[in-house]
Amino acid sequence: MSYAHPEYLVDTEWVARHLDDPKVRIVESDEDPLLYPIGHIPGAVQVDWFSTLQHPLRRDFVTKEQFEEVCSKLGINNDTTIVFYGDKSNWFACYALWLFQYYGHKNVRIMNGGRALWEQEKRPLVKEIPSYARTTYRAKEADRSIRAFRDDVFKQVEAKKPLVDVRSPKEYSGELLHMPNYPQEGATRGGHIPGAVSIPWSQAVNEADSTFKTTKELRALYEGKDIKPDGEIIAYCRIGERSSLTWFVLKYLLGYDKVKNYDGSWTEWGNLVDAPIEK
Amino acid sequence: MPLPTKLQEIVDDFAGMSREEKVESLIGYSETLPPLPDWLKDERAKMEPVPECMTPVFLFGEKQPDGGLIFHFDIPPQSPTVRGLAAILASGLNGCTPEEVLTVPADFFMPMNLQEAISQQRINGFIGVLAHMKQAAVKSMEGK
Repeated sequence: MSYAHPEYLVDTEWVARHLDDPKVRIVESDEDPLLYPIGHIPGAVQVDWFSTLQHPLRRDFVTKEQFEEVCSKLGINNDTTIVFYGDKSNWFACYALWLFQYYGHKNVRIMNGGRALWEQEKRPLVKEIPSYARTTYRAKEADRSIRAFRDDVFKQVEAKKPLVDVRSPKEYSGELLHMPNYPQEGATRGGHIPGAVSIPWSQAVNEADSTFKTTKELRALYEGKDIKPDGEIIAYCRIGERSSLTWFVLKYLLGYDKVKNYDGSWTEWGNLVDAPIEK
Repeated sequence: MPLPTKLQEIVDDFAGMSREEKVESLIGYSETLPPLPDWLKDERAKMEPVPECMTPVFLFGEKQPDGGLIFHFDIPPQSPTVRGLAAILASGLNGCTPEEVLTVPADFFMPMNLQEAISQQRINGFIGVLAHMKQAAVKSMEGK
């Protein structure tokens, strides 16, 4: 049984065969931004979830115009096939893919296994930073159907519609916020959004090689927790990176149509005055 | 209270660097972080975990005959940023007494302007690592 939309996934071999394909742009997106300068897939460019994709002032993503500038500078055309890969089982690769979708770039892929598998297979990594001829990229208006804001989450809670908390079990229970010296990015309250079920992101990924689990395993995982294909689902984590991975799995590997990622996630909800919390 | 001399020098160095130099220098530090000594390899329970980092980070403060501390780290190569930050702290504080380690303010790194190279979020790794180095320093004073 194959994935619902297998075209959104490529393997490392496919990438190795398309390193010089002018219609393909390979993009590395990591949690750790120093990995790219240390060594990346030949020809790959770097998109950092923070310095490239976040608005410099507001807590939001770059604007449509800024996004067009990002793509134009990286030599990406509107019809370029973009393959994302990264560290941590592709958390930020999925995050970047999600944001590219948000601004209407439909032709996107994830390299299954990410950076870890590429390294495991001893494929080449280089330090040279490529440069591509500038393009004139035109983004679409932001696609709100894949992004949840806090008001959407309040409505979701009231309507008792499904929420998936993909953080670790201790973050879900609220235990983790009791650690001493917890740095910022934290929240003043611990726990989870009322009604959310706990399905840690990592359960969707094979530990050995960071690839995604099979359709059968994924179905059992989500449907077993009552996250059904026809549901209107919101996934969240702490800042929206791990839930991007779950969003990708639900939307493209399992074919759930109505899934949103709540990028405000716990750093917003756990600080919001008057927001209901469950422990 | 002034910072320990070596740490102050590193802070000053970074303050004068361009963004590219900061990235290169951080990578340089990450590469110089020594491997965990053999005698600590099976001693995870002895070591101080740093749960604030998304990466598994463990550290240990080894007391020297002269009373100074040498810090040992176990951080995977897949996390060069945390390795770089830990290596800066080790270079800056190795040889200091536990009391000196405890005087380092949690925001000592502000003048380094690292946010232009690796963003504010990751710099907070400093806060977590330093806080646990201080805990290791306290433990060493208790003779644990």
